[in-house]
Amino acid sequence: MTDFAPKIRRSRLGWFLTYFALVLVAAIVLLPLVATALGGFKTLGELRTNPFGLPQHWEWSNYWSILSGPTYWRMLANSLIISGLTVFLALVVASMAAFCFAHVHFYGSGLLLNYFLVGLMFPAATAVLPLFIKIRDLGLLDTYMGVVLPQVAFALGMSILLLRNFFRGLPGELLEAAMVDGCGYMRFFWHVTLPLSKPILATVGIVQFVISWNNYLLPLILLNSDAKYPWPLGIMVYQGEFTTQWQLILAFITLTILPTIIVFLAAQKYIIAGLTAGALKG
Amino acid sequence: MGDETAEVRPARPERWIPGRAAKYRTVRGTAPVLILFLPPALLLFSIFVVLPIAEAARYSFFSWNGYNSPDNFVGLRNYLFLLRHAAFHTALINNLLVIAVSLVVQLPLALWLATLLADRIRGASIFRLIFFLPYVLAEIAAGLIWRFVYDGDYGLAGSIAGFFGLPAPYLLADPSTSMAAVLGVIVWKFFGFHMMLYIAGIQAIDRSLYDAAEIDGATRFQLFRFITLPLLGPTVRLSIFFAVIGSLQLFDLIMPMTRGGPSDSSQTIVTYLYSYGITRMRIGFGSAVGVTLFVICVVFAFTYRRTLMRHD
Amino acid sequence: MTNRTFRRRGVAAAAFVAATTALVAGSALLPGPARADTTVKWLHLEQNPSIATYWAGIAKAYEAQHPGVKIEMQYLENEAYKAKLTTLLQSNDPPDIIYTWGGGVMQEQVKAGVLRDMTGMLDKSYADSFSSAAWNALNYEGKQWGIPMLVSQVGFFYNKELMAKGGVDPAAVKTWDDLLGAVKKLKAAGVTPIIAGGADKWPLHFYWSYLAIRLGGKQAFDDALAGKGDGFASDTFVKAGELFKQLVDLEPFQPGFLGATAPDAYGQFGDGKGAMEFMGNWLYTSQKTGSASGKGIADDNLGFLSFPTVPGGKGEPTDTLGGINGWLVTKKAPDAAIDFLKFFITLDHEREMAAQGFFIPVVKGADADMKNPIFRAVAANLAASKYHQLFYDQMLGPNVGRVVNDVSTNIAAGTISPKDAAQQVQDAWALEH
Repeated sequence: MTDFAPKIRRSRLGWFLTYFALVLVAAIVLLPLVATALGGFKTLGELRTNPFGLPQHWEWSNYWSILSGPTYWRMLANSLIISGLTVFLALVVASMAAFCFAHVHFYGSGLLLNYFLVGLMFPAATAVLPLFIKIRDLGLLDTYMGVVLPQVAFALGMSILLLRNFFRGLPGELLEAAMVDGCGYMRFFWHVTLPLSKPILATVGIVQFVISWNNYLLPLILLNSDAKYPWPLGIMVYQGEFTTQWQLILAFITLTILPTIIVFLAAQKYIIAGLTAGALKG
Repeated sequence: MGDETAEVRPARPERWIPGRAAKYRTVRGTAPVLILFLPPALLLFSIFVVLPIAEAARYSFFSWNGYNSPDNFVGLRNYLFLLRHAAFHTALINNLLVIAVSLVVQLPLALWLATLLADRIRGASIFRLIFFLPYVLAEIAAGLIWRFVYDGDYGLAGSIAGFFGLPAPYLLADPSTSMAAVLGVIVWKFFGFHMMLYIAGIQAIDRSLYDAAEIDGATRFQLFRFITLPLLGPTVRLSIFFAVIGSLQLFDLIMPMTRGGPSDSSQTIVTYLYSYGITRMRIGFGSAVGVTLFVICVVFAFTYRRTLMRHD
Repeated sequence: MTNRTFRRRGVAAAAFVAATTALVAGSALLPGPARADTTVKWLHLEQNPSIATYWAGIAKAYEAQHPGVKIEMQYLENEAYKAKLTTLLQSNDPPDIIYTWGGGVMQEQVKAGVLRDMTGMLDKSYADSFSSAAWNALNYEGKQWGIPMLVSQVGFFYNKELMAKGGVDPAAVKTWDDLLGAVKKLKAAGVTPIIAGGADKWPLHFYWSYLAIRLGGKQAFDDALAGKGDGFASDTFVKAGELFKQLVDLEPFQPGFLGATAPDAYGQFGDGKGAMEFMGNWLYTSQKTGSASGKGIADDNLGFLSFPTVPGGKGEPTDTLGGINGWLVTKKAPDAAIDFLKFFITLDHEREMAAQGFFIPVVKGADADMKNPIFRAVAANLAASKYHQLFYDQMLGPNVGRVVNDVSTNIAAGTISPKDAAQQVQDAWALEH
C-alpha cells in the first residue's frame, strides 16, 4: 500500500485535536488487550484492587502453569494441522479450477464459475446440521479431515475468484507462446502460471489460514474429543473449567492470541493487504 | 489424447460460447485439463456446500433428532414455530441492530479515521496497525476478553464503576443491556477492517483532483464532501455489504460473552440456530432456521448487487 | 507416448498425488488406538479433583487385575457435555461409558439405538444389592441400560452466619411464605439472599419443578405426561410459575445472576457472597472446589433446608426432587466396559465414597459410614420420600426439558408470564407426543 499525501493544512489546534482523537481511539482499542495480558500476571485478588496498573508482584506461575502443561501446546498443534491442511488443499484445488476458468474455454464456464460464487453469499452456519449428518455418514466425525474438507469447500468460492482474476491478468502472449512451443495446459500451469502467481497464492493462503485458524463453529460441531480440539474450542473448554479464576483465563487468552499478534506484526503488510484485498476483490 | 504434437489449430468459433471473443486459441488437451482440474473443486464444493443446503431444505419439513433417518414429516410446522417464536424475533431484531450500528456508528467512524490516516501524517502506519489489530484477533478470543472487561466482579467495568462509587454493573447478565454491550464490542472489533477498506479506496483517488480543488481554495471539508465521498461510493457500498453479511453470520463473538442470553436477549440468527437447533439436535427445526437464513442472505446479496452495486 | 505428454500428465498427476497425500497424511495424523487389547473409554463430568483421583485409582486397580484392558478416562465439563452429547453419540468412535441422569433423555438414547442393553451381563444378586428405586431408574422397557451410582436431592443450602446476620432462623422457614419473608429480611440486612447460576438455566428450573411438585403432587405430573386436561398448561404449572415470580419480584438473587454459570454460582456461594443457594446436595463438594480459597464454607457454618411447603398444595411435604445418576454403556462398547462398571460400583467403593462425602450412594447399606450431617439428612429425606421426582429437564427428554429450563429462566428474567411459560412447555410436549 503506497502512501500518498494531499497537502494538508491544519492549524496547530487542528493537529492537536487530530492526534488527541487518534490516541484516544487507540487507547480504547488497546486497553482491553493490555489489561488482559497484565491480568494474567496478577492474583485474583489483585484483579479487583488493581485492574489497570502493572502487577505489584509479577505472578509468573499463571503463565508457567499453562506453558508447562500439555493442553496449550496440543491445541496449537491441532490448529496448525487443521489450518495447514486447509490452506494446502484449498490452494491446490482452487488454483486448478481457477486455471480452467482463466485460460480454458469450455462450454458453460461462466455458469460453472457462478455456481462456485454462490458459496460467497451465505455463511457455513446455514447448512451446518445437514453437514454434520454428512460428515457422520462419511465416518469423518471427530477427525481432522472432517473439519478440513468442509473448510476447503467453503474456501473455494473466494479462492477461485481471486486466483482466476489474477491468472487472467497474466499476459496472454505467454500462453500463446507456450502453446506454439507445444507446451500443454498442464505444463503451462505448473511451469508458468504457478511460479508467476506467488503473490496471489500467498494472499489467498493468508486469508484462508486466518479464517481457518479462527474458525469455531465447524470444529465445535464436528469434533468431539478434546485431544483434537483447535485452540478456539480449547480456550472455551478452559474457560468453562476455570470459570471465575480470571487470572488463569487471562493468561490463557494472552498465550493463545500471542502467536496471532506476533505473526501479524511480523507480516503486517501482507496480512492487511491480504485481508482487505481478499475482501475487495472477492 | 491421440496426436501428441499439440500443434496450434485455428479456433473453431462454433465451439465457444457465442458472442464471446476467444482470447486464446484452442489447443489439444482441453478435455484432459478440464477432466483433471475441475472435478476436485466441483466435488468438494457440491458435497460440502451445495448438497447440505439442498438437504437442509428437505430436512426442514421433518421432525428429526438425527438418529436413524427422518421419517416424521411435519410439513411447514418448523417454519410456523419459527415465525411465532419470540426468541427468533429477538434474533432478527438484533441482527438488524447490528446492521444499524454498523451504518450509523461504525462506518462513519471508520471513514473519519480513514481520512485522517490516508494522509502521510506522522505515525499513520502505527495507528493503522493498532486499529486493524482487533480484526485480526479471533472472535472467540475477543469475546472472552470482553467478557472479562464487562465482568462486574473482576472485570474493568466493575472497577471503573467502583472508582465512581457506583454499584458494579453486570452488562452481559442483564437482558436490557446485554445486546448494547455486544454492539460495543462489534464496533471495537470491526471498525479497523472498514477503515482499511476506505484507506485503500481513498488512495485510489486521483491526486490531481485534490490539487485542482486546493488551487480553487476548497476547504478540507469541501474536499471530503465533494471529492472523497462521491468517489468513495463503490467502497462505501462494498463496506455496507460486508457489514450486513457479517451481521448475518455473527456467532463466534457472542458465544463467549452471552451464548445469546440472558433470556435470549442477545440471540442472533446463528446463535439461535445453535441454541435451539444444534444443541438440542433438532435437525429438522435447525434446518428450517438455516434455510431461512440462506434465503435472507441470498435475497439480500442478489438485490444489493443488482441495485446498489450494479455499476461497481 | 512422447516425453511431453508424460510430463503433461505428470503435472496433473502430481497435483493429484499432492492432494491425496494430504488426505492420507491427514488421516495418518489421527491418533491411533492405544496399544492395549481392549480400551474402555470412560467419559466423566467430575470436576472435583479428589473424586476424579479416587476413580482413577479404581481404574488402575481394574487394569492391574485385567491385563490387556486399558481404562481411558476422558473429562468434559457438565454444560459442554450436555451440549455435545447427542453429537458425541453419533460419531463412529463414541466413548464406551457415559454419564446419565436417566429419564427421557436416556429413553430417547435407547430408542435411537445408541446404547447397549446390559441386562444379560448383570446377575440378580448384583441388581438386588441396589435400592430398587435407583436400579429401576435406569431400566426402560424391561431392560437394564445402566448402573446407578448416586442419588441426590435439591434443597436450600444456607450459610449460617449470613442467615443470622439477616435475623433469619432457618428452622422456622417451613412454607413458601416463610421463604419470601426470609428473603425480605436478608435483603433489608444487606445480605444477598440467594445465589443462582442463571446462565446455565437448569439451576432455575428447580424452582418451577419443585413448586409444581408441592402444588400438584405426583398426580399432576402423571396427568400432564398422559396428556390429561390442559397438560403442562394446567393450573398447577401456571401457579408454580406465579409463585416463582413472587420470589423473583423480590430480587433475591445476586447481581448478574443471569450471567453466572452453575460453577460460577458454586464459587460465589462458597465464597460467602450470598446466604442461600438452591441446589442439589452435590453443592456440598462443589462450593468447596469452586471457592477462591478452595475450602468453601466450613461444615459447621453450612446448613440444608428442604424445599418449603405450599399451603393447600396437593403434594406431600416428603416428596423430593433430585436425581438418580449413573453410567450407561454405548452400543459398540466391549464387555469390559460393563465388567468395569460392576467392578467400580460395589458396596465397598460406594461405602468409601459416601464416607469421604462425595455423594449419597445407591447400594444398600453403603451409607453406613456417611458422616456428613447434611448428606445424612438428605439420605433420611430420600428414605422417607414416596415420590422422588427426577429433574424435569432430564425426565421430559432433551427438547421439552430444555424448554422448561428456558421458561424458568425467562420467568426469572421477567420476560415471560407464568401462563405463557406453562403453555410453551405444553406446546413443546404436544409437538413430540
